[in-house]
Amino acid sequence: MSLCSGGGSGSGSGSAAAPRLRPRAALMARRPELLCGAAIVLGCAFLVALKVTCSRAKDVTMPAKLPVNFFSARSPVIDLFRGQLDYADHLRQDSEIVLYFFYAPWCGQSIAAREEIEHVASRLSDQVLFVAVNCWWNQGKCRKQKHFFYFPVIHLYHRSFGPIEYKGPMSAVYIEKFVRRVMTPLLYISSRSKLLDFLSNYEPGVLGYFEFNASPQPPGYLTFFTSALHSLKKDYLGTIRFGVITDKHVAEEISLVHSGSVYLHRHANTSLIYPNDIMNYTAENICKWALENREMLIRWLRPHGGKSLLLNNELKKGPALLIFIPYNPLAEIHPLLDEITKVALEYHNCNKSQAAEPDVQHLGDTDSPAFDSSVPDAHMKLSETFSITKYPCCNTVVLPQWHSISRTHNVCELCINQTLGVKPNKVHVPHCNFLEIEAALDSFYLQEHAFFQVISNTIECSNFLSFYSPFSYYTACCRTVNRHFLSFISSEKTIFQTPKVAFSSHGKKDNTQHSIPHIEDRNCFIPDLHISGTNFTGLSCRTNKTLNLYLLDSNLFWIYAERLGASRSTHLKEFAAIVDLKEEVHYVLDQNQSLVGSTLENFIKNFSVLYSPLKRHLVDDPSVYFQQQRVITEVTTNTFQDTVVLSEKNVLLLYYAQWCGFCASLNHIFIQLARLLPPDNFTVARIDTTRNDLPWEFMTDRLPTILFFPHQRKEQSVKFPEDLAVNVPNLLKFILHHSSLSSSEPCTKECLHKGTVLQQGHISHLEREIQKLRSEISALHQAHKQLEVQLSEARREERRLQQQKHTLEKQHKTLQLHSEQLQTTYDQKNQELLEMAEKLQELADASENLLKANALLRILVASREGKLQSKDETKESLQSEQTISEDNDISVSIATATLEEKRIDNTIETEHSSENRTE
Amino acid sequence: MLRSLGSLICLWALRLPVPPADTGVVARGVDVASYRERVRAMFYHAYEHYLESAFPYDELRPLTCDGQDTWGSFSLTLIDALDTLLILGNVSEFQRVISVLQEGVDFDIDVNASVFETNIRVVGGLLSAHLLSKKGGMEVEVGWPCSGPLLRMAEEAARKLLPAFQTPTGMPYGTVNLLHGVNPGETPVTCTAGIGTFIVEFATLSHLTGDPVFEDVARKALKALWKNRSDIGLVGNHIDVITAKWVAQDAGIGAGVDSYFEYLVKGAILLQDEELMSMFLEYNKAIKNYTKFDDWYLWVQMYKGTVSMPVFQSLEAYWPGLQSLIGDVDNAMRTFLNYYTVWKQFGGLPEFYNIPQGYTVDKREGYPLRPELVESAMYLYRATRDPTLLELGRDVVESIEKISKVDCGFATIKDLRDHRLDNRMESFFLAETVKYLYLLFDPDNFIHNDGSVFDVVVTPYGECVLNAGGYVFNTEAHPIDPAALHCCRKRKEEQWEVEDLIREFYSPKQNKKFASKRASDHSEGESAEDCEGASSEKGGEKRHSKKSSHSLLTCPSQSFNSKLAVLGQVFLDNT
Repeated sequence: MSLCSGGGSGSGSGSAAAPRLRPRAALMARRPELLCGAAIVLGCAFLVALKVTCSRAKDVTMPAKLPVNFFSARSPVIDLFRGQLDYADHLRQDSEIVLYFFYAPWCGQSIAAREEIEHVASRLSDQVLFVAVNCWWNQGKCRKQKHFFYFPVIHLYHRSFGPIEYKGPMSAVYIEKFVRRVMTPLLYISSRSKLLDFLSNYEPGVLGYFEFNASPQPPGYLTFFTSALHSLKKDYLGTIRFGVITDKHVAEEISLVHSGSVYLHRHANTSLIYPNDIMNYTAENICKWALENREMLIRWLRPHGGKSLLLNNELKKGPALLIFIPYNPLAEIHPLLDEITKVALEYHNCNKSQAAEPDVQHLGDTDSPAFDSSVPDAHMKLSETFSITKYPCCNTVVLPQWHSISRTHNVCELCINQTLGVKPNKVHVPHCNFLEIEAALDSFYLQEHAFFQVISNTIECSNFLSFYSPFSYYTACCRTVNRHFLSFISSEKTIFQTPKVAFSSHGKKDNTQHSIPHIEDRNCFIPDLHISGTNFTGLSCRTNKTLNLYLLDSNLFWIYAERLGASRSTHLKEFAAIVDLKEEVHYVLDQNQSLVGSTLENFIKNFSVLYSPLKRHLVDDPSVYFQQQRVITEVTTNTFQDTVVLSEKNVLLLYYAQWCGFCASLNHIFIQLARLLPPDNFTVARIDTTRNDLPWEFMTDRLPTILFFPHQRKEQSVKFPEDLAVNVPNLLKFILHHSSLSSSEPCTKECLHKGTVLQQGHISHLEREIQKLRSEISALHQAHKQLEVQLSEARREERRLQQQKHTLEKQHKTLQLHSEQLQTTYDQKNQELLEMAEKLQELADASENLLKANALLRILVASREGKLQSKDETKESLQSEQTISEDNDISVSIATATLEEKRIDNTIETEHSSENRTE
Repeated sequence: MLRSLGSLICLWALRLPVPPADTGVVARGVDVASYRERVRAMFYHAYEHYLESAFPYDELRPLTCDGQDTWGSFSLTLIDALDTLLILGNVSEFQRVISVLQEGVDFDIDVNASVFETNIRVVGGLLSAHLLSKKGGMEVEVGWPCSGPLLRMAEEAARKLLPAFQTPTGMPYGTVNLLHGVNPGETPVTCTAGIGTFIVEFATLSHLTGDPVFEDVARKALKALWKNRSDIGLVGNHIDVITAKWVAQDAGIGAGVDSYFEYLVKGAILLQDEELMSMFLEYNKAIKNYTKFDDWYLWVQMYKGTVSMPVFQSLEAYWPGLQSLIGDVDNAMRTFLNYYTVWKQFGGLPEFYNIPQGYTVDKREGYPLRPELVESAMYLYRATRDPTLLELGRDVVESIEKISKVDCGFATIKDLRDHRLDNRMESFFLAETVKYLYLLFDPDNFIHNDGSVFDVVVTPYGECVLNAGGYVFNTEAHPIDPAALHCCRKRKEEQWEVEDLIREFYSPKQNKKFASKRASDHSEGESAEDCEGASSEKGGEKRHSKKSSHSLLTCPSQSFNSKLAVLGQVFLDNT
């Protein structure tokens, strides 16, 4: 029974009218009496419906509210809130690029994404048509045709190609980036510099060469274009980029000669050319080929928020380095990301490490943006500093006085960065730019705990990066050597960049210039002490602790960093951690160091060496604040040593977790215990193990666990037996048993003093106890009063009840008497009746006798009459009159007697039946 | 661009103290404070319309703006919403309602009431209101928490239910007349949950009043169910309480069974009872073996273990929350994420959801604004702080407001396919759904107290520590303070023992005696003594560990990968 069935029509006019009617109907439903009156006015159609409402209110239902605008009218997004999918399709013809936003008005995620879409739409509305479709309303076309399991769904169309579903984060920048990729799936590469830009990017790139001179659409171009769109279907970020080379000479740089050939660029491995002869030249195949063969030196991890095994699968592959950096997909340049990519490349650069001669290329800075203006100066300075070292090993240079391990001064460290990339000659790479004083400081900081180990004693020549490239006719190696030098003695920070120049020439490696580390240091450089240790280049292939490298956008996934121990207060959301799932440990790159290539390299090296100096990171709960003195001391990772191990007291430590039901219900027991124990000698503490990691030896695998750390013998901690119930007496006994062992030394002054202290403690305890008892007594008094009140009330009640009982008893007695009386009267009556019956019987008998006598008399009379008739006639007449009158009398009396008899029988019967009823 | 950039930063700032300086592209978290206020507004919208249009009936009918009696006639919505008022911080209204209830509610009525519903809603509601009344600023009598008007009302209500337990098996009838007891000709078939959902309220009553009869009948019923489980360790849906024959043999974790399992765990927590926990763990094993598929829980035949219904029921969504209480957080989260996808599909949880078909089941498309999924989200958020759970909270608030809000309250969704509404607002909407939502968005609520604050109450039975957290919610979301159970009777027995032990702590003589005795036993000296003591202790521990691996009343610590198990990431156990 629908309350307002009039509004349910699907047509446009009907639905437009309905919203006006509905509130009134609801209002009327609230006052049914009003409603029936109003119904007459409204007309018969409503009358029927409303009468039903009145009479059977139980079945009232209401159809869903009608859809309304989801986007504001001013929004650049066309809002088809009635789900007009056909109209949406119609709209698609007008625009080259269309974005559909399928939403459900009730869906929180749709509501959250709405703003993001609007934001993107406001930026791209001139090029892209944004259409939002309500795909929930059950009368709408969209709901009828599409069947979504979640909302919102974003589909993109590039002309007729589509739909391309966007599966990325619902964040405006990511969406915009994706839309832009769909708009221009191919990059047009017309010059060499653009080619280099394209190839130097960390994301895998696919290049096609097409000759546009012959026709505006050379053969195969469309397929290539489609495959670029295809790749977007697979991968929302489009980590594979597609480029088109339009110039023959540029194509020759990567040895593409034939128009229509497709090339997959790889950094560490050989680049590939699409095998036209093996695989059919279709869009899907190209896409598949590229996906299968692409390099994954470093991967973005972007959990989509739904249930997924992404991290499980990736982290189970082995230890992983997770790098968190803030990432803006729309930004033109990502200097930090480039740097990290370089580290990754070098880490994986295995096959041609030692063999190649270190060709160094000086890279100027012509087409790099202005952010790097200082670099040329650095180059100038450094070019004069080539000197000394005969080793070409130059990855790590340890400055003198290091052996003295006087860390406070004279420790100088050089961090060297190497830049990789495909660098044809004359092309300048803007990678020598992270020369920040901070970096130098960090390097120094790093030295304190990492450097010592990194440098092994083996003098090993480093594997120089010589980057292999598909440029077969020349080898170009690029290295930029950044040195951060810090001299503490002179309190002067000098930072060097040593971009050793490798210039590549066509044909062969004729450049034998060595790349040499240069240390320009007037204070403290002694070359012999220079020890070059573990080389970073190609480390991934030489260590048995290979790391997989991952990137996470800290704008979206900072929570993982926080859970790994990133500080919540930092401004800069950069963080790196090595997670080893199998060993259940993780290491954290100190957040005081800025995340640059050098620190990352050291971090990786430190992880890789045999006796790793890295310490398992223990996550600490920063939210614990020490306001006032709590009854129970809250221990964290950081305070564990001080409050438990080094404390001068006996410590009872509870391991708990807030979510564990068994722990939380013990709170009150521990509070009681803490209030009872003498506070001078005992600490009751607890630690939330979910938020605080502890060294292995202090970990427990079950919660709650109760450990007792006796004073002076902290190493002999004792566990509270699990089979004992956790209550105050048991805990006290447990503590008493284990703490009493301590004081067994002979009694000295100290001991006596202790005794007095104890006694004083006892006295104060007793005083507290007395206070407690007093308050208890007062409580008891109150309770007593209350009880007395209640008791007197109860007594009154009792008295009242007894009185009631008495009256009832009396009533009962009278009633009994009454019934006895009734019984006796009944008996009497009964007796009387019986007697009556007997009498009647007698009467009946008598009447019978009389009848008999009468008959006899009649006979007698008749006989006499017969006799007398003959005798005298005159006398006869008188006599006969007399007998008739007599006769009459008798018959009357008999009749009355029989009648009476019957009546009595009747009454007896009725009495019997009434008796039955009362019984 | 600039405008929205600013708002982005603003929103973010609520979650993090420092707004990021570099870009405006940060992900937005759920704005907890604003959603908390929206939940509060939701509560008052429904509550005020109930008072205005429906009181003193049991429930509000939101489409017709009137009231009706559903489970008896005790102004059920008011009793149920009582502690929600306090959780929302409305002390004055809490006090007003209590005085209204004390005058107005009468259990001497000729009404046939569901034993189960009366227990969880009325007895549970009154008990929790009684235990919270001091927190709510009520003037309490001297014997509180062991006596009080609300406690007496709860006891009175519970006594009305006791006749139902007088069966040969000890399992109660489903319905009882509050005036005349069990009606002649009453059906002996009761659902499993209707038998096993008493221990929390009844044990609390027994501990507070000192009358053991309540706990005894509840335990007897639990044991009867335990005895009648199938060979493979499962229980069915309905049982004959006279003959103990299973009438409905579908085994699962949802409707008809749900709160039985819930109360085994919560009873174990509340009473520190290993027996109840061992029962649950046995069931848990069987449930995992026979009903769990891909983190869904299906319905199976209780004797054979064959799948009978591949459905997910809205009522089953309490399970992840229960798992998190005993420390099975990984599995809880995995199952929860499955359930969340169903919500995303419909904007609510259908009573039945066919898992293979991915759609609702005929005649079971409704969503009466049930709390179970939010309940689990609240428990899991406590354990993981996963923002996904806040997102669920956001989705629930948006859905309920968009779909079921009407002029007079919030209406049950009759059909999730088209969001048609029904003329009903069940009392659990205010008692549970709103409460759990609010608690999800209010991590600093006193209910989440982790023991860092507490009250000390002096009673005639001694001094009690109360409100130290660890509240156990009954299945209608009425919190019970576990500390109160130890306050009334147990204390006395312990007190003298504790007194003696404390005296020992302060007596140096005792110490010396103890030590010298040990010294005379072992002439080796102190060090040896210490070693001996330690080793014997260790030996004892070892022996103990061999015997049984661990106490049943413990949770496992969270594994290492739980650090990364947020935002939908799940990990598979290698073990």
